[in-house]
Amino acid sequence: MTATVNDRPLLELDSVDMFFGGVQAVRSMSFVIRDSELAGIIGPNGAGKTTVFNLISGVYSPSRGSIWFREQDITPLSAYQVNRVGIARTFQNLRLFGRSSALENVMTAAQNRYRYSFHENMFGNLSPCYRPDPDYYCGFVESALHMGRWAGREKKIRDKSMELLDRVGLADRAGQAAGTLPYGMQRRLEIARALALDPKLLLLDEPAAGMNPEEVEALNVLITGVHRDFHLTTLVIEHHMDLIMAICPHIICVNFGAKIAEGPPEEIRSDPGVLSAYLGDDGKEETE
Amino acid sequence: MKNAVFALIGLALAFAPMSGYQEGIVVLLCINCIAAMGVSLLTGFTGIFTLGHAAYMALGAYTAAIMTVRHGINWLPAVMSGGVVAVAVAWLIGVPTLRLTGDYYAIASIGLGEAIRLVLENWRSLTKGARGFPGIESYTTRFVAVAFFTAMGIVMFNLINSRLGRELKASRDDRVAASLMGFDTPSSRMKALLISAFYCGVSGALLGGYMNFIQPSMFDMMKSTELTAVVVFGGLGSMSGALLGSALVTSVMEYFRDISQYRMLIYGALLVLIMVLRPEGLLGSREVWDFLPNRRGGGIKP
Amino acid sequence: MDFNFSTLFQQVINGLSLGSVYALIAVGYSLVYSILSFSNFAHGGFLVVGGYICYGLLTGFDVAFGREVLLSVPSMGGIWLAGLGAMAGAGAVAVLTERLAYKPIREHTSMTLYLLIASMGVSIVIENIFVILVGGRFRALPQGTFPAATFDLGGGVTVNASDLLSLGFAVFFLGGLQFFLMRTRWGLAIRAAACDLRTAGLMGVNVSRLIGIVFFVAGILAAVGGVFLSARYTLYPQLGGITTKAFVAAVIGGLGSLPGAVVGSLLLGLAEMLTAGFVSSQMRDLVVFSMLVIMLLIKPAGFFGKQISDKI
Repeated sequence: MTATVNDRPLLELDSVDMFFGGVQAVRSMSFVIRDSELAGIIGPNGAGKTTVFNLISGVYSPSRGSIWFREQDITPLSAYQVNRVGIARTFQNLRLFGRSSALENVMTAAQNRYRYSFHENMFGNLSPCYRPDPDYYCGFVESALHMGRWAGREKKIRDKSMELLDRVGLADRAGQAAGTLPYGMQRRLEIARALALDPKLLLLDEPAAGMNPEEVEALNVLITGVHRDFHLTTLVIEHHMDLIMAICPHIICVNFGAKIAEGPPEEIRSDPGVLSAYLGDDGKEETE
Repeated sequence: MKNAVFALIGLALAFAPMSGYQEGIVVLLCINCIAAMGVSLLTGFTGIFTLGHAAYMALGAYTAAIMTVRHGINWLPAVMSGGVVAVAVAWLIGVPTLRLTGDYYAIASIGLGEAIRLVLENWRSLTKGARGFPGIESYTTRFVAVAFFTAMGIVMFNLINSRLGRELKASRDDRVAASLMGFDTPSSRMKALLISAFYCGVSGALLGGYMNFIQPSMFDMMKSTELTAVVVFGGLGSMSGALLGSALVTSVMEYFRDISQYRMLIYGALLVLIMVLRPEGLLGSREVWDFLPNRRGGGIKP
Repeated sequence: MDFNFSTLFQQVINGLSLGSVYALIAVGYSLVYSILSFSNFAHGGFLVVGGYICYGLLTGFDVAFGREVLLSVPSMGGIWLAGLGAMAGAGAVAVLTERLAYKPIREHTSMTLYLLIASMGVSIVIENIFVILVGGRFRALPQGTFPAATFDLGGGVTVNASDLLSLGFAVFFLGGLQFFLMRTRWGLAIRAAACDLRTAGLMGVNVSRLIGIVFFVAGILAAVGGVFLSARYTLYPQLGGITTKAFVAAVIGGLGSLPGAVVGSLLLGLAEMLTAGFVSSQMRDLVVFSMLVIMLLIKPAGFFGKQISDKI
């Protein structure tokens, strides 16, 4: 399913620790996600999966350790900077702009595409920089007067957003307020909104939470399809074992904030540590 | 399209024949509406609640008054400078306070608003103190007020219907999600504050040119409350609602001018009644044209 | 003005006395904030209601009706009875405000902004009812309401009996409040509700009655503050505006924290009086609001406030 996974590491966590007060939520977490991979993180509730996402996306900064993305240390970057580097995410407890329409939600992200380039700094060295994608950007004066490039750029943003809404199957709901959409649709809208940022790495936080089996099946198709069509490195958090086992060739299993196993589904399935920590409780866990 | 409608309203207001009394009301409406648009951008669209924006009106008014009366500068650059001074002060204030979330900006804005007013009251050599600053020339004619209102209205509606509007609404609805969409939310909030300060500064400068006299007590917390109340009355997140709210409140207050004793009582009761009966405001978060039938195009709006 | 120690002591005493009055107001205000998390600007109105009821009972209501229509109280126990009347009246007005204005809004929306604007409206209404009823004149409480004696502490430092009285009463009422919150069933419920109103409701606390009690207590405290403020500054419809300072004090101490409100009030009273004594009394207000801004910049949650963070 995964077309070509090359060996270049895209994301690397290097012995990351995270403390909240006296509680250690993540302990010496290290793993590498390679370019164009579709990887999954599994673990029981409270294992620290979402905290790992919050660390990667810059919502929290780690107490110790470092996080690298495309050979750049992103540990000190704040959330909006991490986003501009090319990481987009969805949220376990939906965070749409509820009063705005579905289309407007996606447009809000689409207007904020950034491009990675190098520019020469004052010492003559090349340093990476992130500029607004010129195809989707227009300046303040043009916006204020609705003149110049404004109309063209606005159309571009709108067309791109409609295309993505169509991709996740929400084109006919474009005008509806996001907060009034059914739950499963809100989840897919979040994916469209993240895709609109044109990320290099997509983080999906429990995308199947609260979905029925048919919806989960459709979601499977969507995630693998998006991964294939956009050549998008994707990291999924789930406690639904089945979903991850079905779509992710590379799985990281965490428990109590630490990585306990890593490998392809077959290995994970038979790993004794995983079995005792997670699969053994599977029946109970589903009642959550 | 909307720009043309706005321009037509402006032309009508500027050239329709009316009595001197009506002209006065039109000028006052325009001035109040300019300030209301500024506060609406900040409170309705960005979710930053303020109880101190009258201070920016005061800064605009005093800047324009001092420049025209003391230094004989032409009124137009003076009015614009009024806006710019308000922006500069807003920036100084915004840098530290916009980091504060929730109610804290509102609380800080009370302190800042009062502090600015007290400085104006006590810096007598510059502002002539609490007794007020008389002798400002009448530069705010009907035509000037309407022209400013129309131009600033068009710009405001354009801004909220483009990228800035989406950016501000994103940081209003969910700051965390907005920052993970690549928005530097403190800077978004700052943009909203600076623009709203400019609108209030210009509004204050025009007010000085209409009244010919300004006084620190004209810009007290009561005035700040009025600015925010008008915006809430019109509907948070609705720019045309803010205009409607401002126009209604200005008219009602004008209507009751003769029974001035009861005016404030009615005003206070009105505030309570609006909050009790229709807290979402006149238009909710929709604009006037969202209520029109058969709109063209697959709407951006809910 | 030159510095000397007797001025310092004098102003410290004045500051503590003023701060204690602020504390009475700030604590009531903070109490409401801790339960409903909105700034109740109508609190100043409760204070004015208390002040005018006290004045009216002492003078037989000749202000309102031009003649003595009701009982004249001085013969019946003077300030004590008038004070009780003021407390009951302001408490009732506070509860009425809650029931008529705030409750319908609370049931309709969770945005505290609407409550805040409604409270502004209520404060304007109360102020203007008194402007219409009794006029905007400044009124002093009748002579002899409070003992006029002054005590000489030596070195030119004096203290008014009424200052001591206000200090004493503030301590008494704050102590009473502390007792009520710590030792009674409703006090326990209020403390629980301050942590989480909804959960307290789920645990079987009658939230509606609880909020009513909180407003009644806040009204009582405001009335006591109002009586002492009108003794200090005379009484006028806009006297409620002074609550902005109590509000500043509550913010400095940490919104929603009662010890914070007391500490903030004393600090503010001291700062005001020291400014008046050593700089100029016109700078008092400027110092007050600067303190608010500086505090918000350094420690937004105030001295005793709890830090807030949201869950992702």
